[in-house]
Amino acid sequence: MNGEQHRAKAVRIERSLARLTDADYEAVIEGAMLAGTHWFNILLHQAKLFPETRDAMHAEFLTLGDRRRVAATMPDALAALDTIESLRTLQVRGDMPGGEAAAKTARECLERLRSAADSPH
Amino acid sequence: MKIAAHLGKFKNLDASLQRLDPHSDCELWIWTAMNAGVHLLNAALHHAGATREVDSFHTQVEGLYAVPDRTRGILADQLHPPGDVMHVGQPPIAHSLPPAIEQACSSLKLIEDLREPHVRGSEPMRPGAEEAWMRAYRDYVERLLGALDTSGGAR
Repeated sequence: MNGEQHRAKAVRIERSLARLTDADYEAVIEGAMLAGTHWFNILLHQAKLFPETRDAMHAEFLTLGDRRRVAATMPDALAALDTIESLRTLQVRGDMPGGEAAAKTARECLERLRSAADSPH
Repeated sequence: MKIAAHLGKFKNLDASLQRLDPHSDCELWIWTAMNAGVHLLNAALHHAGATREVDSFHTQVEGLYAVPDRTRGILADQLHPPGDVMHVGQPPIAHSLPPAIEQACSSLKLIEDLREPHVRGSEPMRPGAEEAWMRAYRDYVERLLGALDTSGGAR
């Protein structure tokens, strides 16, 4: 998808996230992953790491070579998406304690991804 | 995860779903309806003996589980037979399933198949599509709760 389409999706999902509180932490983490991945794809396209015909599904699924390129170019965005994805196993597919704190972390990471995509390049 | 934990997750996600509108929040509605359904499916599969009820969490990688050490609060990766499924048919289940669960899987698959066009992609919704989505959600929730014989107890 192109940057405009990713942005529209990310903004829509963030609007939906605003309807939820941190008590909805499973849905918040998932929404942060979905919106964050759209911001992440904007960054990948802006940096010409991925063409608009190719999107990343999850940071964890990047090939080793792609991960090294992304880490060298946009390390904070990669770390933010990695963090959100790691919370899925713990709090969405798992039942470890600390769900509401995890929702806050997911929202903070999403903010980092949005800021990175919005900053001049 | 254990059946009780899946039911707790289903209850949370179902409550979150009620705060979302399937049209204006379609992306997160689809995703939350799917996750709620997968937890209920896992509970029903464990209950039917089709998959093992173990204290492990499915990771993003098919067939790879995170096993918690709850005393130390850490996780260890482990490959083991299911266990929890991540999605319908992922990982595949060797056992034949009771008809109610098979039928629920068909409805849940309808929601799972909305991910590419409407969540990761930007295909517009067909007018009135949300009615079919809500029907599918109600269908698999009802069938899976029936399979668990928890009518009135889980929601």
